[in-house]
Amino acid sequence: MPNNLWAQPTLQNHLYKSRYCITNMSDQNKIQKIVRELQADLPLTSYPFKEIAQRCDMTEDELLEAIKNLQEKGIIRRFGAVVRHQRMGITANGMGVWIVPPEDAGRVGKIMATFREVSHCYQRPTFPDWPYNLFTMIHSSTVAECEDVAARISEATGIKDYKLLFSSREFKKVSMVYF
Amino acid sequence: MDKLDKLIMNRIQGDFPLTGQPYKQLAQELNIAEDELLTRLRVLKERGIIRRLGAVFDSKKLGFSSTLVAAQVPEEKIDKAVAVINAYPGVTHNYQRAAEYNVWFTLIAESQERIEQILQEISDKTGAQKILNLPAVSFYKIKVNFNV
Repeated sequence: MPNNLWAQPTLQNHLYKSRYCITNMSDQNKIQKIVRELQADLPLTSYPFKEIAQRCDMTEDELLEAIKNLQEKGIIRRFGAVVRHQRMGITANGMGVWIVPPEDAGRVGKIMATFREVSHCYQRPTFPDWPYNLFTMIHSSTVAECEDVAARISEATGIKDYKLLFSSREFKKVSMVYF
Repeated sequence: MDKLDKLIMNRIQGDFPLTGQPYKQLAQELNIAEDELLTRLRVLKERGIIRRLGAVFDSKKLGFSSTLVAAQVPEEKIDKAVAVINAYPGVTHNYQRAAEYNVWFTLIAESQERIEQILQEISDKTGAQKILNLPAVSFYKIKVNFNV
């Protein structure tokens, strides 16, 4: 890996393309350094941000300010532990796929989102052999409970056409390395 | 996980203190010593319950594109296909599911064009019969915490 990733034009363009007002080069450079640190593991030491700040050539206060700024802009969606929920006892994970009339997707999506067991709810495109347009990840401790949640979602939304696809094998689960 | 581990797990998944001594602050909230919290966090990580402690980024706001991909791969070709798919760093989650589309993975890349290109490569190399590119068009929920 080259030291200066900005030398690669595709990476250089990323933050320019972003709609979030990161327009000057020194800002981009700073943000890239911070992202590179925070996409990895926060040190388990008393002053973790001090260590990171040193590696980013800034003061601890500047770093904390920058992180808060990234959070306000929504560039950082969440700060904390990323968990393996299977190892927390939440072992059944079903991907619910639903056929929802497109004009009704907003109403239905909002109802689905209210379920505690639903971690993600997105609308996605359809294809001739794939008519399912709403996706809900449903997490619980048993398959039966996931099925029960799906049945309750169906009841609450009036959407009868759905399938629950359970994962039989996990091939990969990692955090993205952006820069 | 004992009761304290569960309290730690429920607290640590979001709203991390952005202060000079974040673990000290968290420990105070949990009524334990900083050292005990750090020790327990190390163990939770070793056991793989905590996969990572850090920031979760909105890939779109960083200028990246992301998608969910469904592939139809003949059973006997799955292992080889998975090796090809997993070799892309932008593939962050990959699961087998019992359905006509049996391999489901998420993909992040620097542009839509690059995503299309990667999917073409995967199609060429794996013998996947069909591949669906399913980028989210509306977001209704992205959850934060798994409580125990």
